[in-house]
Amino acid sequence: MATVMKTTRDVKGIGLSIPRPDGPEKVTGQVQYVADLSPRGLLHAKLLRSPHAHARILRIDVSRARALPGVRAVLTAADIPELKKKAPTRAHAVLAIDRVVFAGQPVAAVAADEPAIAEEALDLIEVQYEVLPVSADPLEAMKPGAPPVADSGTEADTSEAQAHGSVAGITTEAKPAKAVNISQQARLQRGDVAKGFAESDVVIEKTYRVPMVHQGYLEPHAVLAQWDTAGNLTLWASTQGSFNTRTEVADVLELPENRIKVIPMECGGGFGGKIRALCEPITAILARATGRPVRYVMTRREELEAGMPAPQVIIRLKTGVKRDGTLMALEGEAILESGAFSGAVLAVSGVFLASLYLWPSFDVKGFEVLTHKPSIAAYRAPVAPQTIFAIDSQMEQLAKAIGADPVEFRLRHLQREGDKMANNQPWLSNGGAEVLTRIAEHPLWKKRAEWKASSKNGRLRGTGLSLGGWLGGLQPTGATVRLNPDGTLQVLTGQVDIAGTNIALAQIAATAYGIDIDKVKITTGDTDVAPVTGLSAGSKTVYTVGVAVMQAAQNARTQTLEIAAKELEASVHDLEIDDGKVVVRGVPNKGVTLAQIGKKGNLYMSKVEPVLGTSHPAFSVQAPAFCAQLARIEVDPETGEVTVHDFVVVQDVGKAINPLAIEGQMQGGAVQSLGMALTEALLYDDQGRLTNPSLLDYRKLTSADLPNIETIIVEKPAPHGPFGARGVGEPPIVPAPAAIANAIEDATGVRLTELPLSPERIALTVASAT
Amino acid sequence: MLRYTNAGRVVGGPGERIHYAPMSIVWSETQQSRLGASWVAESSRRPRVRRFELILPESVDDCVRALAQRGPEAKLLAGGTDLLPQLKNGLLKPARVIDLSGVARLRAIEPADGQGLRIGSAVTARTLELDRAVRARYLSLAESGALVGSVQVRNLATLGGNLCNAAPSADMAPPLLALDAEAVITGPKGERRVPIATFFTGVRRTVLAQDELLVELLVPTPGPRSGGNYLRHTPRRELDIAVVGVASQLTLANGVCTKARIALAAVAPVPVRATAAEQALEGQPVTPERIARAADLAVEVARPISDQRGSAEFRRHLVRVLTRRTLTTALARASA
Amino acid sequence: MAKLVLNCTVNGEPAEVLVQPWDTLLDALRERMGLTGPKEGCGTGDCGACTVHLDGQPIASCLVLAMQARGHVVLTIEGLGRPGALHPLQEAFVRHGVPQCGFCIPGVLMAAAALLTENPRPTEEEIRYGIAGNLCRCTGYTKMLAAITETAGAAAGRRS
Repeated sequence: MATVMKTTRDVKGIGLSIPRPDGPEKVTGQVQYVADLSPRGLLHAKLLRSPHAHARILRIDVSRARALPGVRAVLTAADIPELKKKAPTRAHAVLAIDRVVFAGQPVAAVAADEPAIAEEALDLIEVQYEVLPVSADPLEAMKPGAPPVADSGTEADTSEAQAHGSVAGITTEAKPAKAVNISQQARLQRGDVAKGFAESDVVIEKTYRVPMVHQGYLEPHAVLAQWDTAGNLTLWASTQGSFNTRTEVADVLELPENRIKVIPMECGGGFGGKIRALCEPITAILARATGRPVRYVMTRREELEAGMPAPQVIIRLKTGVKRDGTLMALEGEAILESGAFSGAVLAVSGVFLASLYLWPSFDVKGFEVLTHKPSIAAYRAPVAPQTIFAIDSQMEQLAKAIGADPVEFRLRHLQREGDKMANNQPWLSNGGAEVLTRIAEHPLWKKRAEWKASSKNGRLRGTGLSLGGWLGGLQPTGATVRLNPDGTLQVLTGQVDIAGTNIALAQIAATAYGIDIDKVKITTGDTDVAPVTGLSAGSKTVYTVGVAVMQAAQNARTQTLEIAAKELEASVHDLEIDDGKVVVRGVPNKGVTLAQIGKKGNLYMSKVEPVLGTSHPAFSVQAPAFCAQLARIEVDPETGEVTVHDFVVVQDVGKAINPLAIEGQMQGGAVQSLGMALTEALLYDDQGRLTNPSLLDYRKLTSADLPNIETIIVEKPAPHGPFGARGVGEPPIVPAPAAIANAIEDATGVRLTELPLSPERIALTVASAT
Repeated sequence: MLRYTNAGRVVGGPGERIHYAPMSIVWSETQQSRLGASWVAESSRRPRVRRFELILPESVDDCVRALAQRGPEAKLLAGGTDLLPQLKNGLLKPARVIDLSGVARLRAIEPADGQGLRIGSAVTARTLELDRAVRARYLSLAESGALVGSVQVRNLATLGGNLCNAAPSADMAPPLLALDAEAVITGPKGERRVPIATFFTGVRRTVLAQDELLVELLVPTPGPRSGGNYLRHTPRRELDIAVVGVASQLTLANGVCTKARIALAAVAPVPVRATAAEQALEGQPVTPERIARAADLAVEVARPISDQRGSAEFRRHLVRVLTRRTLTTALARASA
Repeated sequence: MAKLVLNCTVNGEPAEVLVQPWDTLLDALRERMGLTGPKEGCGTGDCGACTVHLDGQPIASCLVLAMQARGHVVLTIEGLGRPGALHPLQEAFVRHGVPQCGFCIPGVLMAAAALLTENPRPTEEEIRYGIAGNLCRCTGYTKMLAAITETAGAAAGRRS
């Protein structure tokens, strides 16, 4: 169980803006990603993917591909005995057996000496398909009689939802209703909404829509697989969770977990898209079939067509308010399009819709719908940006309708600690009100009327803000802290460092032990050597692993002091560690160095135990973290182009362990949020095929599209976080879509409810409004 | 039954969410579907080559010889910014690639006997962006070069590649149309010249025969009181492709417009001139009202499709806006 | 099909490499020469992760055939600086906490280095356009701007 660490000591770690220690390796291009590994005998893998979103496979002929010189293996489902007929998860659907359920689904795999040869081999594989009707639109797919997606009997996959530690206690029914493609549904109710609406003065009903988007990491999925002669598998993977990868691969290949070693390489971005196994099983199977190391790197086109994007979210929201500002009732329907396999985090949507602001009565239904599209996975605060887009836009419109100040209206109704969430759990301590208040004090907010009035040359100026957040994830973890014979410290976790958390963990260890940060080395171990740990996701790395490291360091400190106490014939309580030495308080010349203690634990025939601090905690209390964002924009109403002049991110981080790293998270998350707001969408045709499978047409924002992102850190300590820290990764991706939509309304008078807020949508809506 | 043609298809009524049908240039023939029937995909009707032979000519004559030998199976490579993505996507699988980077003549920019500028077909977009001679008199062309992709792409992308790839959205085509440029083409039968206005024959099709090479562009001097501008709309400021592009060029004499040229990209299978709009401006002083009228006439020339980059409605809307804006800027530059 | 011999200069040294005709410059650098600093993020020139200098100009090496570099001068991130002898931009990037996942960083640095060579005193807008061909998903670009601005200013300070 986590304990709060209080200290009045001059800490030499916490709160310092220390650059990541791997900075020099990264700026010189020396850090290694999977695609940089080229062992001897390497083979290159390519997958043949279905061009159809729904089809029966009648026949596959690989003979000509197999005959191409340089091709070492061509596999279809028939060659893989472990494949289950009814794949419970996407990872189990290694190669399609007799039916494809999304365009881009792999149907055959090739390993060859060169990538170009592998590509040619794909062209030589003949597949005969019988094309079947497609469920491409979730609203259509929900209806009885729609073309079915799942094999009947396939269970809903809620592992994703559980991985994100989202709100407990909601009953999600896994059994579909009459409609065959509804794979999860849930309902949250309180009070009498009909009565609430009847008594409302203003009722606003809108439908908000956010398309599927891709996590957009720069490094595509990549994995290198190799077996040894004893039948052990090693995977060098780009992953957010080496232990999770190991578990999934073990399950798919029906292997014991301890026969698989997952070595997490530097991960070129994950954001939730590299949690679930995707390429690892097929690459491992190709390596087994060829007896050689096999490397598979997805192309960008494959990532966009056949990755694991964020779900499309459609929220119909009806809200009633009295003219005096009292909230009366909320009715909502959230439809999450999950693609071909279930896995959406349904519960989050309900919680944020119905209990971010307190509604006396609400009725929220959630549906997860399957369609013939690539199945979804998490994307940084899954479903929260989409949900906040809906509820915050709605709150803004309600405030406007009754003439209330938008910030005061939100503050008035914002949940506070102890209030009942939609699932009847109490809201935990959080800084939601603090960040909202702080952003309202910003000059950009205070001067918004002047900004708007300064519109000129046909351009329209406006300002908008929004509040969002994330509930915070939890997962058990472990860490060890070792004292080296030279007095330096060694920290080991299994935690993949995708967000620069290692430096923060090192700072925590240094402070908890009592040593300078430059004496601490932290290592992320592979699954053979590291303590079992969870995902680098859910904004929980510092919150959970930080506690483990802190406790392990405290444990090591205790052991160190006990050894020193015997040496110095003093009481442990009279000792302190200062400048690499354990000294008796007040008697600086009586001491023993850490190096001496470290050596004693390692000498031949020594009776002194080596210092090895350990910790293996589990957690039960989340730490919600809130983020408010403000956008000052200028709109060209004729072309619809939006210029973001200024953008501010205010975030409650509990305790800023490393402000430099935290700013980077806030800025990066904000820009992903702006991308969702302004330009990003995976666009499918009505046959379920992606029409924009390149980065030319899947538009991520460039530096020329953005201003400097201003960051303001607020600290409302989390009772159970290490030094009060909360997770910081996810909150900043949440608010921007609503903030931009609010700003566009301020500037132009039009309210848009569908993302992205593209120039076309803006220009044509403005044109039709005038 | 769904067929995807050049015209594309829009699903959904006005005001509803639009599903964008793909442009046929994105989808290869093998990816069309016929519901309810079985069919064989990926059989080898064409040579399936990902590997190719590379030819490295050092002169224009070398190129012509290489093209003559196996023209239909060969593709010319200049900057590679269009060809390489097409090779990687499997849209093109040539047996031979002819690299033009060793042919120095194609990268030259020189005055053309006092009558204008001679711009080699392998001149990069970046060079067009920065070259003093181009900026001095042919600013709209420099502007179009400046908009292509990003600096890393502009350092590679060539004028000739942009034209010969002949995407409807080719940025450098409208300014050349508006400047009455001529393409100089050479082949086994010698050299010929083709006005840019007739150079494009369809989506990704030009007048070039398979054994011919675009050598250079001749751009005549616009005249003393002439100004031009190229604008395009893109959702992002860089790394993007035109949803609509418009180039305008106005030449004045004694307060009257003697020549008006308006050329549009991405609103028809080929870049087109809005001749009715041009005629509405010529012979009179240019006023904001006449500019607005010309912009309306330009819309009538546009026959845009709806695709995932933009709907036909939005494209028509943009033609009006960008024509108005480029004409306004062209007028200011001509009057300066 | 026989391999071809590519002769060019790479990171200041003459290089002779056997390449396939269809190898891109990026392929040749990464797979034939072991220079894995430049990355493939998209393969179609839309992300900038493969940016290297060709004759001093920043280009997308995924769009250049290896043989097109014959006789030319190539500079990759490995030639910009080394740990212990970092280029001022690299040093500023480290100090400002720019790299997160790090995948875009070699490309951004090459684009920024070329920008500052061509335009030693860029405005903020010029810097933003100078690296606009480099997509980054982690950082939001703000710290890159600060690091590049500071480096340009420091260089200006040294020159004056």
